[in-house]
Amino acid sequence: MSVPATYPADPVPSPEATGSAIRTSRLLKRYGAIEAVRGLDLDIVRGEIFGLIGPDGAGKTSTFQILAGVMEATSGTVEVFGKPAREARSQTGYLTQTFSLYPDLSVAENIRYIGDLRRVAPAEIAERGLRYLKMFDMDRFADRLAGRLSGGMKQKLALVCALVPEPKVLLLDEPTTGVDPVSRREFWDALAHLAADGLTIMVATPYLDEAERCHRVALMHLGEIHQTGTPAELRAGLHAKRLELRTTELAKAEQLLTQDAGDGREILDVQRFGDRLDLLTVDPENTTKYVEEKLKSPQLQISEIQTREPTLENTFVATLRSLGQEIRPEPFPGRYDHTDLRGQIAIGATQLTKRFGAFEAVKHVNIQIRYGEVYGLLGANGAGKTTTIKMLCGLLAPTTGEIQLAGETGSLRSQSVRQHIGYMSQKFSLYDDLSIEENLNFFAGVYGVPESERERKRNWALSFSGLEGKEKQLTGSLPGGWKQRVALGAAIMHEPSILFLDEPTSGVDPLARRAFWNIINRLADLGTAILVTTHYLEEAEQCNRLGFMVAGELVTEGTPSEIKNRQEGHLIEFVVDQPQGAADLLKQTLERWRVSLFGDRLHVVTDESAQAGIQSTTTQLAKHGIQVLGAREERFSLEDVFIGVVEKARQQGKVASED
Amino acid sequence: MKRLFNHRFLALIQKEFAQIRRDRRIAMSLILPPVLQLMLFGFVLNSKVQNLRLGVIDESRTPESRELIARLSESESFRLTSYYLSPDALTDAITHGKAQAGLIVPYDYARNLQRGRQANVQFLLNAMDANTATIARTYAQSVIASYSANLQSSGLHAEFSQIAVPDVGRRGRVDLQPSFLYNPGLVASWFSVTGVLGLLCILNGSLVASATMVKEREAGTLEQLLMSPADTSEIVLAKIVPLFLLLCMMALFAIGIMRVVFHVPFHGSFMLVFAGAALCLLSGIGIGTFIATFTQSAEQAQLTSFFVNPPMSSLSGALTPMEAMPHWMQPLAKFNPIYHFGVICRASMLKGSGIETLWPNFLALLVFTVILVSLSVWRFRKQLG
Repeated sequence: MSVPATYPADPVPSPEATGSAIRTSRLLKRYGAIEAVRGLDLDIVRGEIFGLIGPDGAGKTSTFQILAGVMEATSGTVEVFGKPAREARSQTGYLTQTFSLYPDLSVAENIRYIGDLRRVAPAEIAERGLRYLKMFDMDRFADRLAGRLSGGMKQKLALVCALVPEPKVLLLDEPTTGVDPVSRREFWDALAHLAADGLTIMVATPYLDEAERCHRVALMHLGEIHQTGTPAELRAGLHAKRLELRTTELAKAEQLLTQDAGDGREILDVQRFGDRLDLLTVDPENTTKYVEEKLKSPQLQISEIQTREPTLENTFVATLRSLGQEIRPEPFPGRYDHTDLRGQIAIGATQLTKRFGAFEAVKHVNIQIRYGEVYGLLGANGAGKTTTIKMLCGLLAPTTGEIQLAGETGSLRSQSVRQHIGYMSQKFSLYDDLSIEENLNFFAGVYGVPESERERKRNWALSFSGLEGKEKQLTGSLPGGWKQRVALGAAIMHEPSILFLDEPTSGVDPLARRAFWNIINRLADLGTAILVTTHYLEEAEQCNRLGFMVAGELVTEGTPSEIKNRQEGHLIEFVVDQPQGAADLLKQTLERWRVSLFGDRLHVVTDESAQAGIQSTTTQLAKHGIQVLGAREERFSLEDVFIGVVEKARQQGKVASED
Repeated sequence: MKRLFNHRFLALIQKEFAQIRRDRRIAMSLILPPVLQLMLFGFVLNSKVQNLRLGVIDESRTPESRELIARLSESESFRLTSYYLSPDALTDAITHGKAQAGLIVPYDYARNLQRGRQANVQFLLNAMDANTATIARTYAQSVIASYSANLQSSGLHAEFSQIAVPDVGRRGRVDLQPSFLYNPGLVASWFSVTGVLGLLCILNGSLVASATMVKEREAGTLEQLLMSPADTSEIVLAKIVPLFLLLCMMALFAIGIMRVVFHVPFHGSFMLVFAGAALCLLSGIGIGTFIATFTQSAEQAQLTSFFVNPPMSSLSGALTPMEAMPHWMQPLAKFNPIYHFGVICRASMLKGSGIETLWPNFLALLVFTVILVSLSVWRFRKQLG
């Protein structure tokens, strides 16, 4: 793959040309002694998708509330299209983290209700509602109860509701938490469409693959903005390259290379993924040699080293690290070593099937997860992931099929089996009405962690969560990301040999997620078998092996690289002068999933060769007066693969879309 | 039987106590209802009728008639509101609620008395509230009876006649001379308060239990708990034990109020009453847990309790005498823990009865408790398993 030398800079609409949509100046918000927002200066341009990324507690939600005019700033000014935020409320659509849809009302009734509230004329409501529902491919569901929509559809409905009053500015606070990849992509396609029509969108997200789809991104931390720019600018600002290192013994290589890593060294940073290490370096060529040398003596085989562009996550982590925000927990005070179990099957299922009445939620699933392995189970909402996990850990009896868990085949519910299992469920693993300390004590007690170890384990869990000294705080008062960290700590205090993690990192910021995966890898090195589900495919790269579930079936399995290599066709990234126009045009001839907009770049999946794909697309666009400024082949991301797999299953009629 | 008091059970119990400590509603529900309900039923809801508005037509206008009217209105029961001139006006006043009772003294009243003939007065009652009317009638009767007893010494004689009840021709006259045992002062609150204790045990027990049981499911932490090595019986018992202890404290508190505020005597064994209350509480917890196994949220549980608790309390003989219920319904009370506890409580506290007479009620309570608690534990386990 080659990067053309004349790769054009991302054409960001300049404020002079289009005018500011949102402008803040020295915005400050104080809660008592805490300054949540400290002197924010923003200038967001009309028609721009502006991403606000930052760790938990960075002040993102406070910022949104001020911009939406629902909260007064302590000082500073906010102008939305030249008016104070409070007066501009009629032009602002604000989606909070929890959407205020009425589950007992139908899609159309929800829209009508919101429209009425904002005093839109009934005829207008009907016309606009239908238009947006059509735009989001939801017009078939107008009569469905909102409570019966899937997560992604609910999100889109909330978006329609926010759009019906025709706002000029849309404020979205982490809109896709808990939404599956397919719906997330559709959601972002919808956003791109709206931005192209002139709507200004500001969106907060903890996921950096979503940030890639923004025109500009600002990194917020402790109430201040530290970096602003296009994703490409931010990546370039790191002045470093990323080396992907594939080797047989990741744990050992990681250990060796981490020793020498640090600022100003040959390797700036080492991050472990499911089947590779990512090394950050200023000088890729020298570092490659250095790494080869370094790994020669312990006889570690390097199967591949490749130089790549850094990711936004690299930038994010590097910036936060320079601010001294890295989470460096004490090493997990583990006593037991499960390495002797390594290679044996920890979780096994043959022909696992679950029927609810006539509905087959899980169909003939075969899974084998060995000790020491991190296995990721991925799937859209309703694909049967949660049902599968519940069966595998013994919470739900399968209709047919055999399960093996921790060496037991018969009674999965026996105490001795559960003593070996750690479980962290989707959202609620902790008692909100207990203090952090009480929660940890409870889990230690119930799992029989010996008295002598409790102190150390508890302290470790607190340091891992970054909550030392706050152990008396009520758990319910913690932001989601922190709660998840405590929950993980609580789930592994008894050093289980099998760990089930059902969407453990939803709502967790990138730094904390890194700490999460650090400990997960550590546990796997100690021989623990780990089954993880996630909606974030970027994160799935961390797993040793992955299984994709579609409509109750396990359709693909393998290491992240295997799965990506198995994907047919090519992914081509185009830079064009009219991104949205090009996307709309291409969608007329290609299937929807093959075309998607990432900020100002256009991703197209073609089944022809890369060269042929570039040529045919360029000619097609040229026919309609759209000029291609640059094109190159990109590697498939796991998300591309996943969406391809789901769409193909849909074509084969396995998934009855959502009707 | 496995060793119950292991580290798991201890952790579970500690957790429950910590949660209860945080939950103000539970603490409130252990103090407020006993106080409120005991006071309410003890003071307010007694069957005394006071200050009924009395309208009068005095056609006689004699010292004798004024004496009668004075006697009536001096009693606590009636308060003279106004005089009327015609029966129509009086009936009107009663119909419109300006007066609740009416007295018509005929023009020949004094003359009849003086001549030693029977003197009749008319007494009208608004029987819309049948209970009040009955009681008012009894009061009026007794006032007139004592008035007439006074007259008899002087050879005079007045008789009470009412138009609400057809006069039954009677020969001779039987006088009832009641002698009230065990509650000689006829303190109505002793009856209601001893009944309310049973109500409290069942209502509070079931409400608190269902709320606690359903909470874990509502919060979504149940799965996490089920994945732990804790046994389902341990989970259920760990939920019941702290509740039971707290509710026992509530019962003690309520008994204290009964003793201190209402001066209910304690002729029998305190332990007997307390044991009865404990069994009653366990039945209540059993009912609550059972309800919780059918419901998904606290609201649902509360609503379901509304279908169970009011009929149970009104058919228990706790607040109204059992004898007031239709005959065919009375045996139903035998299946009601509140009824049995009411019997135990009254008999033991007021009469001083011991276990030798009360054992059937204890047995019944024990049977309910065992059935309800095991049923609910079984249902709960089945649901979790």
